[in-house]
Order: sequence, then C-alpha cells, then structure tokens
Amino acid sequence: MRPLEQTQREFFAALQMPLRGRSRNSTDLAPSVEGHSPEFLAKAESLMKAGSNLLPAEQLELYHRQYWFRLLDSIAEDFPTLRKIAGEGTFWALMEAYVCACPSASFTLRHLGRRLADFTAEWEEIDATRRRWFAALARLEYAHMEIFEAAEWEAVPPEQLASVELGLQPHVVLLELPVPADLCMDWDKFMPEAEALTHLAVWRNESGNSAQCRIDPIEFVLLSRLRQGSSLAALFAEPTAREPSPEEVAGWFANWQNRRWIALAPTAETENFPVVSQRSGGDIDWSRVDKMGSQARAMED
Amino acid sequence: MSASRFTGGVELATGIGLRSPHYRHILSEKPTVDWFEIISENYMVEGGRPLEVLDMILEQYRVVQHGVGLYPGNCDGIDRDHLKRLKRLVKRTKTPWISDHLCWGSIDGSMSHDLLPIPFTFEAARKTAANLRMVQDFLEVPLAMENVSSYGEFNDSEMTEWEFLAEVCELADVGILLDVNNIYVSSINNVFEPLDYVNFVPPERVAQIHIAGHSRYERFIVDTHDHPVVDPVWKLYERAIERCGPVATLLEWDGRIPSFDEVWTEARKSETWRESALAKKGTDAAA
Ligand SMILES: [Fe+2]
Repeated sequence: MRPLEQTQREFFAALQMPLRGRSRNSTDLAPSVEGHSPEFLAKAESLMKAGSNLLPAEQLELYHRQYWFRLLDSIAEDFPTLRKIAGEGTFWALMEAYVCACPSASFTLRHLGRRLADFTAEWEEIDATRRRWFAALARLEYAHMEIFEAAEWEAVPPEQLASVELGLQPHVVLLELPVPADLCMDWDKFMPEAEALTHLAVWRNESGNSAQCRIDPIEFVLLSRLRQGSSLAALFAEPTAREPSPEEVAGWFANWQNRRWIALAPTAETENFPVVSQRSGGDIDWSRVDKMGSQARAMED
Repeated sequence: MSASRFTGGVELATGIGLRSPHYRHILSEKPTVDWFEIISENYMVEGGRPLEVLDMILEQYRVVQHGVGLYPGNCDGIDRDHLKRLKRLVKRTKTPWISDHLCWGSIDGSMSHDLLPIPFTFEAARKTAANLRMVQDFLEVPLAMENVSSYGEFNDSEMTEWEFLAEVCELADVGILLDVNNIYVSSINNVFEPLDYVNFVPPERVAQIHIAGHSRYERFIVDTHDHPVVDPVWKLYERAIERCGPVATLLEWDGRIPSFDEVWTEARKSETWRESALAKKGTDAAA
C-alpha cells in the first residue's frame, strides 16, 4: 500500500496533465483526437479500483475533467476583455498553458488569474506586441478582481488631513502599464495603437461598482507614497520628476477626497471586523459573489 | 433534538443554500426561511460586495457556514491562514456550527478546488482525524464533516466509505453532515447499497443533512446540484431522519438555479418526508 502522501502526489499530478480527446468537447479548448497519455492510463490502473461500472481510467478522468472545467470556467469569467481581444483560439491556448504552468495557489478561484499578466508577458506563442498588450490588459482586468474584495478603510475627514498618518484606500489599485491597455475595453478586436507608458487607478466607487481612470505620472507617484503611509507634509518632502503646480495638486486632492481614496489605516481591533458601507439591496449586481461551490459541472458525456 | 453537542444546542428545521441569483428577492421580499447556508470561501474576503450582502442577510436570518476549502484529508496538514480567515468569518456570522467536506484537495500549496476522495485507509483516517482535532480546537465552534460524492475508489482502501466516515468522526470527535444525495451518487458510481451506508452512520453525530439533485449519465452520475431531488434520495432522507431524528435539513441548488420560490418549494418537500419518517420512528418505538 502506498503512503497517503504518495497517493495524493500521484493523483494531483494526473489532474494537472492536459485534457485529452473527448474530454475537451465540454470546453472551448481546441479539439484534439489524442487519447490519454500512457502515464495517465498507468496511473489510473495503479491508483483506482477496477470492478465498478467505471474503468479505472474513467474514474480518474472524471476528476481530471472537473479540475480543468472548473479552472477554465472561472478564469474565462475573470478576463472577458482579454478573451475578446485575443480571439477564442489564442485565448484558450493561453489559458491552457497558464493553468498548466501556474496552478491555483489560493483558497479562492478569484485569485486564479494572479500570475496571468506575468505569464502572458513571457508566452512565446504570440508576438512581442501582443505580449505587451495582452499582459497589460490581464493586469488591468485582474485589478478589477482585486478591488472587488479589497477592504474599505474610513475616509479621512478634511479637518484631519494635516494631522494624521494618511493611507491609500485598499480598494484603489495603481497601475503603471507599458501600453494604454484601458483602450482595449472599447475594441472589438486587437488593433494596437501607439505604445506609451500609461498610469491608471482602478477602484470601487461609492455605489460599490468598479471604476477606472487615467492618472498623471506625478499623481501616480504621490498616490504610491500614500500607499506606504505618509503624513501630508512627507508626501511632498521628496522631489518628483516634475514639480506639479499648486492648482494641479489641489485638483488631485479634491478628486481623491471625493472618491474617499485618502483613508485611515485601521487599528488592530477594527481590522478584525472590516467596515462595510451599507447600501440598499436594489439594483446591485451581486453576480460575482458566488465563485466557490461544492457542485460539479455538467458535461457532454 | 439529537446531536445538540454538534449543533451548539441550536435546533434548525429547513434551510436552503444562499446563492447570488436570489439576493435581490431575499433582501426585498424578506421571505420566511428558517436558515441559510453560506459557502464560507465566498465571504472570506476583506470587504466589498460579499461582506456587504452578508451583513444585510445576517440582520434578518440565521446563517450556517459551510466550507469547500478546509481539505482535512490533506497529507500535508491544514493551512493556518485559511483557519484564521475562517475564524474571522465565524465571529461575523455567529454560525452555531460549521461544516466542510471529508476530502482532500491540495498539495504543496497547489489547489484543485475540488473535493477529492480520500483512500479509506487507517493511515488516512488517523491523519484526517488529527487535522480535524486541531481545526476543532482552533475554531471553537462545533465542526461537522460532510461525506462527498465520488467517481471512483482507491485500490488501497481498507474499509468502506461509511466505516471510514464513522472512524474519522469518532477519532476526531466531530459531527457529521450527512449528504444523502452524495450517498446516492457514490452508490451508483461505485456500486454499493446506499441503505447500508445510511444504516451504519452513527446517528448521534449527525448535525445536519444535505439534499440535492444531480445529473444522470448512462453509466455514472455527476453531482451537479442542478435538478430537483430524485425519489431514491428522498427515501434515503426519510431513513436518515428515522434514525437521526429531526435534523436540520438543507437543499443545495447550484446550477441552472430556478426562482427562489421554486427552490424553497423543493426544500419544503423535506417536511413531508420528515413527518412520515418521524411517524415511523414513533410507531417503531411504540411496537
Ligand atoms: Fe452537500
């Protein structure tokens, strides 16, 4: 008899093998007539018990399918614009390669795409231009996931701005991208424009929806300082690449305050019980709350 | 009420799984439902919509936490950070007990996000029970283990699934969440008599029962939770109630989710079966 650890290692390794043949039919992966690999069949024979109405290979394959179905469904849901821009064939080839290379490392499927941008930036199956654009877009779409579940801190009242340690609201994600990937949101297909370093903020707005906007490179630097925690005076202590005008700074501050971006880091006690702003249940899109479940996915056969 | 040691002394009747297509209806119509079961992992976040809707539900309803990511059968132990997040949610929901699955699911930090079957060996029973004892001590709320549906069995198994379930829960001294649909699904896929399973379960440990629908294929069943409960599953449910008493009962519906009313009507069918089972139990006791 194998030790438990060996059984689990062998079983998990089989789950991570690529889907073959008919099992791909219930996915959007490119079809293939290739059957199971000899390693998969051998693993099934040694692990699973014969004698039920399912062969050992069929038993292992049912788990193998569910593993892949669940991950592919989840990640496609999280990167709709990348899917549209990359096109079905490229998108699914990328997802298959990504899931093979970067298995989920979090308890929640919401984090499955965490390494997608880095992986895409190195994926050799597409040209360098696409790599830059697709990786930037993956980073942007993942930011929308991050802000969906990030904490909300108390906004700093204006009269306390000069007297307390300021922080950046956790549900504000700052991005410095090599291309203006935010433009992709309006495209129907890939049509790259001039490449330029682009600074964006993605955040959860007052009604709980995700929002994004471009920000000035200096604004990006100041907000990054705020993220580290800073007094108002210290925010401007270090020089920036360009000296912003007082009007610019005043405009930025007004925006940050309107959007409740300037926030107070919580004390240990409140951190244990995060604040959640209450809104009426009316017309809110709750669809992304259910990411995890105990059910299996239906399949073709 | 039996099993009070495993339910924190709280008695609940019929509930349904809280699912996002029903939020709007629940928040605006405030239907009468005994309790909702939530999937813990969907709310183990720092903020945003998940906690917002949860707080609104908690203002009006009793919520019981059900997890899919504890993986007590993992050979490499339990993730401490996961437990900390779970305990933080327990404080928020004040769940009377907490359940998860008797399964494993990850290795070296790589996650399957599935409820993988454990080989029914004495080694696995000991390791799983040790993990569960640690979890139980840490969470400080009664813990119940759910039997999973499975699509195969291991060559290495040394006992039946029902013996394994009883062995682990007794060694760890935890409760049982008996999913009678899962018993039925596994009985078709792995060819055994489902009543043997129900009849073997230690009734005093059963804290909760799950009922659900599934998808039937030619030679196997997949546990999709996207259909009404089938008759053979209701019969197993009836027998389970007859043995365990009026245990908290929850309907899971996760795929192709119909209207709230349809799900609630399906869940309430359990009340008829429960009454007939308790009547039988009464007759047997009198005889
Ligand atoms: Fe269940």
